[in-house]
Amino acid sequence: MSWNRPLMIVLLAAVLALTWWRLQPADDEIRRSQLLMGTVVEIMAGGRPAGQLEDAVDAAFAEMARLDLLFSSYRPDSEVSRLSQSTNGGTVSAETAAVIALGLEVARRSGGAFDLTLGRLKSIWGLEQEHPAVPDRQAVTDALAGIGPNALSLDGRQLGKREPQLQIDLGGIAKGYAVDRAIAVLREQGVASAAVNAGGDMYLLGQRPERPWRIGIQHPRMKDAVLETVEVRDRAVVTSGDYERFFEQDGQRYHHIFDPQSGFPARGCQSVTVITDSVALGDALATALFVLGPQEGLRLLDQYPGTEALIVAADGSLHASAGWTKYPVSP
Amino acid sequence: MTGGDWLVIVPLLCAALAGVVWVAAAPGGTRVVVTSGGQTCFTAPLDQPRSVDIEGPLGPTHLVIDEQGVRITGSPCPRKICLSMGPARHTGDLIACVPNRILVRIESSGGEEAPYDLLSR
Repeated sequence: MSWNRPLMIVLLAAVLALTWWRLQPADDEIRRSQLLMGTVVEIMAGGRPAGQLEDAVDAAFAEMARLDLLFSSYRPDSEVSRLSQSTNGGTVSAETAAVIALGLEVARRSGGAFDLTLGRLKSIWGLEQEHPAVPDRQAVTDALAGIGPNALSLDGRQLGKREPQLQIDLGGIAKGYAVDRAIAVLREQGVASAAVNAGGDMYLLGQRPERPWRIGIQHPRMKDAVLETVEVRDRAVVTSGDYERFFEQDGQRYHHIFDPQSGFPARGCQSVTVITDSVALGDALATALFVLGPQEGLRLLDQYPGTEALIVAADGSLHASAGWTKYPVSP
Repeated sequence: MTGGDWLVIVPLLCAALAGVVWVAAAPGGTRVVVTSGGQTCFTAPLDQPRSVDIEGPLGPTHLVIDEQGVRITGSPCPRKICLSMGPARHTGDLIACVPNRILVRIESSGGEEAPYDLLSR
Protein backbone atom coordinates (compact mmCIF):
# COMPACT_ATOMS: atom_id res chain seq x y z
CA MET A 1 0.00 0.00 0.00
CA SER A 2 1.32 3.38 -0.92
CA TRP A 3 2.33 5.54 2.06
CA ASN A 4 0.96 8.78 0.66
CA ARG A 5 -2.71 8.09 1.45
CA PRO A 6 -2.18 7.57 5.22
CA LEU A 7 0.06 10.67 5.29
CA MET A 8 -2.71 12.76 3.75
CA ILE A 9 -5.18 11.47 6.34
CA VAL A 10 -2.81 12.19 9.21
CA LEU A 11 -2.11 15.72 7.97
CA LEU A 12 -5.80 16.41 7.44
CA ALA A 13 -6.58 15.15 10.95
CA ALA A 14 -3.81 17.33 12.42
CA VAL A 15 -5.16 20.44 10.70
CA LEU A 16 -8.69 19.74 11.90
CA ALA A 17 -7.55 18.99 15.47
CA LEU A 18 -5.45 22.16 15.72
CA THR A 19 -8.30 24.27 14.33
CA TRP A 20 -10.79 22.75 16.77
CA TRP A 21 -8.43 23.25 19.73
CA ARG A 22 -7.72 26.88 18.86
CA LEU A 23 -11.39 27.74 18.45
CA GLN A 24 -12.45 26.28 21.81
CA PRO A 25 -13.42 28.97 24.33
CA ALA A 26 -10.86 29.27 27.14
CA ASP A 27 -13.49 28.16 29.66
CA ASP A 28 -17.23 28.26 30.17
CA GLU A 29 -17.07 31.22 32.55
CA ILE A 30 -17.75 34.86 31.80
CA ARG A 31 -16.72 37.87 33.83
CA ARG A 32 -18.21 41.33 33.26
CA SER A 33 -18.11 44.65 35.08
CA GLN A 34 -20.27 47.76 35.06
CA LEU A 35 -20.30 51.02 37.00
CA LEU A 36 -23.58 50.98 38.93
CA MET A 37 -24.83 52.39 42.25
CA GLY A 38 -21.72 54.56 42.51
CA THR A 39 -19.37 51.58 42.49
CA VAL A 40 -17.93 48.82 40.33
CA VAL A 41 -20.27 45.85 40.00
CA GLU A 42 -18.64 42.68 38.78
CA ILE A 43 -20.46 39.49 37.85
CA MET A 44 -18.81 36.14 37.19
CA ALA A 45 -20.91 33.22 36.03
CA GLY A 46 -20.11 29.75 34.80
CA GLY A 47 -21.34 26.25 34.21
CA ARG A 48 -23.66 27.02 31.28
CA PRO A 49 -23.14 27.76 27.57
CA ALA A 50 -21.65 31.22 27.08
CA GLY A 51 -24.72 32.60 25.31
CA GLN A 52 -27.01 31.66 28.20
CA LEU A 53 -24.55 33.12 30.70
CA GLU A 54 -24.43 36.41 28.76
CA ASP A 55 -28.24 36.67 28.80
CA ALA A 56 -28.38 35.87 32.52
CA VAL A 57 -25.70 38.42 33.40
CA ASP A 58 -27.46 41.07 31.27
CA ALA A 59 -30.65 40.41 33.24
CA ALA A 60 -28.80 40.63 36.57
CA PHE A 61 -27.21 43.97 35.65
CA ALA A 62 -30.60 45.26 34.48
CA GLU A 63 -32.15 44.31 37.82
CA MET A 64 -29.46 46.21 39.73
CA ALA A 65 -29.91 49.27 37.49
CA ARG A 66 -33.66 49.17 38.16
CA LEU A 67 -33.08 49.08 41.93
CA ASP A 68 -30.62 51.99 41.69
CA LEU A 69 -33.53 54.07 40.40
CA LEU A 70 -35.52 53.18 43.54
CA PHE A 71 -32.85 53.52 46.22
CA SER A 72 -30.41 56.21 45.08
CA SER A 73 -30.01 59.24 47.32
CA TYR A 74 -28.48 61.16 44.42
CA ARG A 75 -31.38 60.88 42.02
CA PRO A 76 -34.07 63.42 42.95
CA ASP A 77 -36.73 61.23 41.35
CA SER A 78 -35.86 58.08 43.32
CA GLU A 79 -38.33 56.71 45.84
CA VAL A 80 -35.86 57.29 48.67
CA SER A 81 -35.36 60.94 47.64
CA ARG A 82 -39.11 61.48 47.54
CA LEU A 83 -39.43 60.02 51.04
CA SER A 84 -36.70 62.31 52.32
CA GLN A 85 -38.45 65.33 50.82
CA SER A 86 -41.80 64.37 52.32
CA THR A 87 -42.89 65.73 55.69
CA ASN A 88 -44.26 62.53 57.19
CA GLY A 89 -43.42 59.64 54.82
CA GLY A 90 -45.84 57.86 52.52
CA THR A 91 -46.58 54.62 50.71
CA VAL A 92 -43.50 52.83 49.42
CA SER A 93 -42.92 49.96 47.00
CA ALA A 94 -42.76 46.43 48.36
CA GLU A 95 -39.00 46.32 47.73
CA THR A 96 -38.28 49.58 49.52
CA ALA A 97 -40.46 48.38 52.39
CA ALA A 98 -38.48 45.10 52.57
CA VAL A 99 -35.15 46.94 52.69
CA ILE A 100 -36.37 49.41 55.30
CA ALA A 101 -37.88 46.61 57.42
CA LEU A 102 -34.54 44.77 57.49
CA GLY A 103 -32.68 48.01 58.24
CA LEU A 104 -35.02 48.89 61.09
CA GLU A 105 -34.60 45.42 62.57
CA VAL A 106 -30.80 45.73 62.59
CA ALA A 107 -31.11 49.28 63.90
CA ARG A 108 -33.27 48.07 66.81
CA ARG A 109 -31.12 45.04 67.65
CA SER A 110 -27.91 47.07 67.48
CA GLY A 111 -29.29 49.78 69.77
CA GLY A 112 -29.08 52.34 66.98
CA ALA A 113 -25.51 51.57 65.86
CA PHE A 114 -26.99 51.03 62.40
CA ASP A 115 -29.23 53.89 61.31
CA LEU A 116 -31.26 54.54 58.15
CA THR A 117 -31.69 58.26 58.83
CA LEU A 118 -28.15 59.63 58.60
CA GLY A 119 -28.76 61.46 55.32
CA ARG A 120 -28.35 64.95 56.80
CA LEU A 121 -25.26 63.97 58.77
CA LYS A 122 -23.55 62.48 55.73
CA SER A 123 -24.46 65.54 53.72
CA ILE A 124 -22.76 68.00 56.09
CA TRP A 125 -19.57 65.91 56.20
CA GLY A 126 -19.48 65.93 52.40
CA LEU A 127 -17.52 62.71 52.04
CA GLU A 128 -18.98 62.16 48.59
CA GLN A 129 -18.09 65.67 47.51
CA GLU A 130 -14.94 67.30 46.23
CA HIS A 131 -13.98 69.06 49.45
CA PRO A 132 -15.07 67.12 52.54
CA ALA A 133 -14.45 68.88 55.86
CA VAL A 134 -15.15 68.44 59.57
CA PRO A 135 -18.42 70.28 60.27
CA ASP A 136 -18.90 72.40 63.39
CA ARG A 137 -20.42 70.76 66.48
CA GLN A 138 -23.71 72.61 66.25
CA ALA A 139 -24.23 71.44 62.68
CA VAL A 140 -23.58 67.84 63.81
CA THR A 141 -26.03 68.20 66.71
CA ASP A 142 -28.67 69.59 64.38
CA ALA A 143 -28.12 66.76 61.87
CA LEU A 144 -28.65 64.15 64.60
CA ALA A 145 -31.96 65.62 65.79
CA GLY A 146 -34.73 63.03 65.60
CA ILE A 147 -32.64 60.11 64.27
CA GLY A 148 -32.56 56.65 65.84
CA PRO A 149 -34.19 53.22 65.62
CA ASN A 150 -37.63 54.76 66.19
CA ALA A 151 -37.23 57.62 63.74
CA LEU A 152 -39.07 55.64 61.08
CA SER A 153 -42.10 53.41 61.41
CA LEU A 154 -43.29 50.87 58.89
CA ASP A 155 -46.79 49.42 58.72
CA GLY A 156 -46.99 47.19 55.66
CA ARG A 157 -45.96 49.55 52.89
CA GLN A 158 -46.81 52.70 54.84
CA LEU A 159 -43.70 54.49 56.04
CA GLY A 160 -43.90 57.13 58.73
CA LYS A 161 -41.25 59.75 59.58
CA ARG A 162 -41.08 61.02 63.15
CA GLU A 163 -39.54 64.33 62.06
CA PRO A 164 -40.08 66.02 58.70
CA GLN A 165 -36.40 66.94 58.30
CA LEU A 166 -35.19 63.31 58.47
CA GLN A 167 -33.19 62.34 55.40
CA ILE A 168 -33.38 58.62 54.61
CA ASP A 169 -30.12 57.04 53.48
CA LEU A 170 -30.16 53.38 52.44
CA GLY A 171 -26.49 53.44 51.43
CA GLY A 172 -25.61 50.95 54.16
CA ILE A 173 -27.99 48.27 52.93
CA ALA A 174 -29.41 48.98 49.44
CA LYS A 175 -26.31 47.89 47.53
CA GLY A 176 -26.43 44.59 49.37
CA TYR A 177 -30.10 44.12 48.56
CA ALA A 178 -29.35 44.78 44.89
CA VAL A 179 -26.65 42.08 44.94
CA ASP A 180 -29.13 39.65 46.50
CA ARG A 181 -31.63 40.41 43.76
CA ALA A 182 -29.00 39.99 41.04
CA ILE A 183 -28.21 36.55 42.46
CA ALA A 184 -31.93 35.71 42.48
CA VAL A 185 -32.16 36.66 38.80
CA LEU A 186 -29.14 34.49 37.95
CA ARG A 187 -30.73 31.57 39.81
CA GLU A 188 -34.01 32.08 37.92
CA GLN A 189 -32.02 31.86 34.69
CA GLY A 190 -30.59 28.50 35.70
CA VAL A 191 -27.11 29.70 36.69
CA ALA A 192 -25.71 27.56 39.52
CA SER A 193 -22.22 29.06 39.83
CA ALA A 194 -21.83 32.84 40.03
CA ALA A 195 -20.39 35.71 42.01
CA VAL A 196 -21.83 39.21 42.20
CA ASN A 197 -19.49 41.77 43.72
CA ALA A 198 -20.58 45.38 44.23
CA GLY A 199 -17.58 47.27 45.57
CA GLY A 200 -16.62 44.48 47.95
CA ASP A 201 -20.16 43.48 48.97
CA MET A 202 -20.55 40.10 47.37
CA TYR A 203 -22.51 36.88 47.17
CA LEU A 204 -20.93 33.61 46.06
CA LEU A 205 -23.43 31.26 44.46
CA GLY A 206 -22.49 27.59 44.28
CA GLN A 207 -18.80 27.02 43.77
CA ARG A 208 -16.00 27.06 41.18
CA PRO A 209 -15.62 23.93 39.02
CA GLU A 210 -13.57 21.96 41.56
CA ARG A 211 -13.51 23.96 44.78
CA PRO A 212 -15.42 26.58 46.78
CA TRP A 213 -15.10 30.29 45.97
CA ARG A 214 -11.89 31.72 47.39
CA ILE A 215 -12.21 35.29 48.67
CA GLY A 216 -9.34 37.52 49.75
CA ILE A 217 -10.08 39.98 52.57
CA GLN A 218 -8.33 43.31 52.16
CA HIS A 219 -5.78 44.18 54.83
CA PRO A 220 -6.97 47.50 56.27
CA ARG A 221 -3.53 49.08 56.50
CA MET A 222 -1.51 47.39 53.74
CA LYS A 223 -2.92 48.22 50.32
CA ASP A 224 -1.43 45.28 48.47
CA ALA A 225 -1.91 42.63 51.15
CA VAL A 226 -4.77 40.36 52.13
CA LEU A 227 -5.63 39.79 55.76
CA GLU A 228 -7.00 36.29 55.20
CA THR A 229 -8.38 34.20 52.40
CA VAL A 230 -11.66 32.39 53.02
CA GLU A 231 -13.48 29.64 51.13
CA VAL A 232 -17.25 29.87 50.85
CA ARG A 233 -20.19 28.61 48.83
CA ASP A 234 -23.72 30.06 48.86
CA ARG A 235 -22.72 32.81 51.28
CA ALA A 236 -22.54 36.60 51.38
CA VAL A 237 -19.20 38.22 52.22
CA VAL A 238 -19.20 41.91 53.14
CA THR A 239 -16.31 44.06 54.34
CA SER A 240 -16.53 47.60 55.71
CA GLY A 241 -13.34 49.49 56.44
CA ASP A 242 -12.13 52.95 57.39
CA TYR A 243 -9.77 52.93 54.38
CA GLU A 244 -12.52 52.91 51.73
CA ARG A 245 -13.53 56.55 51.75
CA PHE A 246 -11.83 59.07 54.00
CA PHE A 247 -10.11 62.42 54.18
CA GLU A 248 -7.47 63.78 56.52
CA GLN A 249 -7.64 67.06 58.37
CA ASP A 250 -5.13 68.28 60.96
CA GLY A 251 -3.44 64.88 60.90
CA GLN A 252 -6.63 62.99 61.71
CA ARG A 253 -8.37 60.48 59.42
CA TYR A 254 -12.12 60.97 58.98
CA HIS A 255 -13.84 58.07 57.25
CA HIS A 256 -17.37 57.34 56.03
CA ILE A 257 -18.77 55.03 58.75
CA PHE A 258 -20.46 57.29 61.28
CA ASP A 259 -21.36 56.63 64.88
CA PRO A 260 -24.99 57.82 65.13
CA GLN A 261 -24.45 58.75 68.79
CA SER A 262 -21.56 61.17 68.23
CA GLY A 263 -22.11 62.13 64.60
CA PHE A 264 -18.39 61.51 64.02
CA PRO A 265 -16.64 58.58 62.33
CA ALA A 266 -16.68 55.48 64.53
CA ARG A 267 -13.30 54.82 66.10
CA GLY A 268 -13.47 51.23 67.39
CA CYS A 269 -12.36 49.34 64.28
CA GLN A 270 -10.22 49.39 61.17
CA SER A 271 -12.35 46.87 59.29
CA VAL A 272 -15.16 44.36 59.73
CA THR A 273 -15.90 41.36 57.49
CA VAL A 274 -19.20 39.54 57.84
CA ILE A 275 -20.13 36.18 56.29
CA THR A 276 -23.86 35.49 56.32
CA ASP A 277 -26.92 34.43 54.28
CA SER A 278 -27.73 37.67 52.45
CA VAL A 279 -25.65 40.63 51.35
CA ALA A 280 -28.25 43.11 52.57
CA LEU A 281 -28.03 41.70 56.10
CA GLY A 282 -24.23 41.48 55.86
CA ASP A 283 -24.08 45.09 54.71
CA ALA A 284 -26.12 46.35 57.67
CA LEU A 285 -24.33 44.13 60.19
CA ALA A 286 -20.86 45.13 58.99
CA THR A 287 -21.73 48.77 59.62
CA ALA A 288 -23.33 48.01 63.00
CA LEU A 289 -20.34 45.95 64.16
CA PHE A 290 -17.92 48.63 63.01
CA VAL A 291 -19.76 51.23 65.09
CA LEU A 292 -20.14 48.98 68.14
CA GLY A 293 -16.51 47.82 68.17
CA PRO A 294 -15.18 44.27 68.69
CA GLN A 295 -16.71 43.28 72.05
CA GLU A 296 -20.22 44.68 71.66
CA GLY A 297 -20.17 43.80 67.97
CA LEU A 298 -19.51 40.13 68.58
CA ARG A 299 -22.27 40.11 71.21
CA LEU A 300 -24.69 41.45 68.59
CA LEU A 301 -23.77 38.51 66.33
CA ASP A 302 -25.17 36.11 68.94
CA GLN A 303 -28.61 37.24 67.70
CA TYR A 304 -27.79 36.06 64.16
CA PRO A 305 -27.08 32.31 64.14
CA GLY A 306 -24.96 31.20 61.22
CA THR A 307 -23.43 34.64 60.82
CA GLU A 308 -19.69 35.02 61.43
CA ALA A 309 -17.37 38.01 61.54
CA LEU A 310 -13.72 38.98 61.59
CA ILE A 311 -13.04 42.35 63.17
CA VAL A 312 -9.81 44.31 63.01
CA ALA A 313 -9.91 46.60 66.04
CA ALA A 314 -8.54 50.13 66.01
CA ASP A 315 -5.28 48.88 67.55
CA GLY A 316 -4.89 46.28 64.79
CA SER A 317 -5.82 43.27 66.93
CA LEU A 318 -8.00 40.58 65.36
CA HIS A 319 -11.32 39.48 66.87
CA ALA A 320 -13.22 36.60 65.26
CA SER A 321 -16.57 35.07 66.09
CA ALA A 322 -16.55 31.47 67.32
CA GLY A 323 -17.52 29.91 64.00
CA TRP A 324 -15.17 31.96 61.85
CA THR A 325 -12.48 29.28 61.94
CA LYS A 326 -14.32 27.13 59.38
CA TYR A 327 -13.74 29.68 56.61
CA PRO A 328 -10.03 30.63 56.31
CA VAL A 329 -7.77 28.61 54.04
CA SER A 330 -4.18 27.98 54.96
CA PRO A 331 -1.75 30.39 53.29
CA MET B 1 3.87 9.19 -5.53
CA THR B 2 2.31 11.20 -8.32
CA GLY B 3 2.39 14.93 -8.91
CA GLY B 4 -1.27 15.05 -7.88
CA ASP B 5 -0.38 13.57 -4.49
CA TRP B 6 2.13 16.34 -3.90
CA LEU B 7 -0.52 18.88 -4.82
CA VAL B 8 -2.56 17.60 -1.87
CA ILE B 9 0.22 16.83 0.62
CA VAL B 10 2.14 20.11 0.36
CA PRO B 11 -0.88 22.36 1.12
CA LEU B 12 -1.90 20.02 3.96
CA LEU B 13 1.63 20.15 5.40
CA CYS B 14 1.61 23.95 5.19
CA ALA B 15 -1.82 24.10 6.85
CA ALA B 16 -0.65 21.82 9.68
CA LEU B 17 2.45 23.98 10.30
CA ALA B 18 0.31 27.13 10.20
CA GLY B 19 -2.02 25.49 12.73
CA VAL B 20 0.85 24.85 15.12
CA VAL B 21 1.92 28.50 14.85
CA TRP B 22 -1.71 29.63 15.30
CA VAL B 23 -2.11 27.61 18.50
CA ALA B 24 1.24 28.77 19.85
CA ALA B 25 0.32 32.40 19.15
CA ALA B 26 -2.85 32.25 21.25
CA PRO B 27 -2.80 35.09 23.80
CA GLY B 28 -1.29 33.85 27.04
CA GLY B 29 0.02 35.08 30.37
CA THR B 30 -1.41 37.76 32.64
CA ARG B 31 -2.70 40.91 31.04
CA VAL B 32 -4.00 44.32 32.04
CA VAL B 33 -7.35 45.08 30.43
CA VAL B 34 -8.74 48.62 30.60
CA THR B 35 -12.25 49.70 29.67
CA SER B 36 -13.49 53.25 29.31
CA GLY B 37 -17.22 53.82 29.23
CA GLY B 38 -17.78 50.09 28.93
CA GLN B 39 -15.51 49.62 25.88
CA THR B 40 -12.13 47.88 26.03
CA CYS B 41 -9.61 50.54 25.06
CA PHE B 42 -6.23 49.14 26.15
CA THR B 43 -4.61 45.80 26.93
CA ALA B 44 -0.99 45.01 27.76
CA PRO B 45 1.05 42.25 29.39
CA LEU B 46 1.44 42.74 33.13
CA ASP B 47 5.12 41.85 33.03
CA GLN B 48 6.15 44.65 30.66
CA PRO B 49 6.65 47.99 32.49
CA ARG B 50 5.03 51.00 30.86
CA SER B 51 2.76 53.94 31.54
CA VAL B 52 -0.28 55.04 29.58
CA ASP B 53 -2.98 57.71 29.62
CA ILE B 54 -6.54 56.45 29.22
CA GLU B 55 -9.05 59.05 28.11
CA GLY B 56 -12.29 59.24 30.09
CA PRO B 57 -15.11 61.77 30.11
CA LEU B 58 -13.27 63.94 32.67
CA GLY B 59 -9.87 63.71 30.97
CA PRO B 60 -6.87 61.37 31.01
CA THR B 61 -6.39 58.78 33.76
CA HIS B 62 -2.70 57.85 34.08
CA LEU B 63 -1.80 54.18 34.61
CA VAL B 64 1.58 52.71 35.48
CA ILE B 65 2.51 49.05 35.01
CA ASP B 66 5.61 47.98 36.91
CA GLU B 67 6.89 45.25 39.18
CA GLN B 68 4.15 46.02 41.76
CA GLY B 69 1.33 45.48 39.24
CA VAL B 70 -0.84 48.13 37.62
CA ARG B 71 -2.03 51.22 39.47
CA ILE B 72 -3.62 54.59 38.82
CA THR B 73 -1.14 57.40 39.44
CA GLY B 74 -3.00 60.36 37.99
CA SER B 75 -6.67 61.20 37.54
CA PRO B 76 -8.84 64.22 36.78
CA CYS B 77 -11.59 62.99 39.15
CA PRO B 78 -12.48 65.22 42.11
CA ARG B 79 -11.89 62.89 45.08
CA LYS B 80 -8.86 60.93 43.78
CA ILE B 81 -10.11 57.77 45.53
CA CYS B 82 -8.69 55.72 42.64
CA LEU B 83 -5.16 56.92 43.48
CA SER B 84 -5.39 55.33 46.91
CA MET B 85 -6.66 51.94 45.71
CA GLY B 86 -3.16 50.54 45.41
CA PRO B 87 -1.94 48.19 42.72
CA ALA B 88 -3.79 45.32 41.06
CA ARG B 89 -1.59 42.36 40.26
CA HIS B 90 -3.51 39.11 40.73
CA THR B 91 -5.90 37.64 38.19
CA GLY B 92 -9.33 39.09 38.88
CA ASP B 93 -8.05 42.17 40.72
CA LEU B 94 -9.97 45.26 39.77
CA ILE B 95 -9.33 48.96 40.27
CA ALA B 96 -11.52 51.73 38.98
CA CYS B 97 -12.09 55.43 38.67
CA VAL B 98 -15.87 55.60 38.95
CA PRO B 99 -16.25 59.32 38.06
CA ASN B 100 -14.05 58.95 34.97
CA ARG B 101 -15.69 55.62 33.98
CA ILE B 102 -12.34 53.76 33.85
CA LEU B 103 -12.07 50.08 34.86
CA VAL B 104 -8.74 48.27 35.09
CA ARG B 105 -8.70 44.49 35.47
CA ILE B 106 -6.08 41.75 35.55
CA GLU B 107 -6.97 38.82 33.31
CA SER B 108 -5.18 35.56 32.71
CA SER B 109 -5.60 32.92 30.06
CA GLY B 110 -4.60 30.08 32.35
CA GLY B 111 -1.44 28.79 33.93
CA GLU B 112 -0.74 30.03 37.44
CA GLU B 113 -3.81 30.01 39.68
CA ALA B 114 -4.63 33.28 41.45
CA PRO B 115 -4.54 33.17 45.27
CA TYR B 116 -8.21 34.21 45.40
CA ASP B 117 -11.15 34.67 43.02
CA LEU B 118 -12.38 38.01 44.36
CA LEU B 119 -11.21 40.60 46.87
CA SER B 120 -13.60 41.79 49.58
CA ARG B 121 -12.78 45.35 50.62
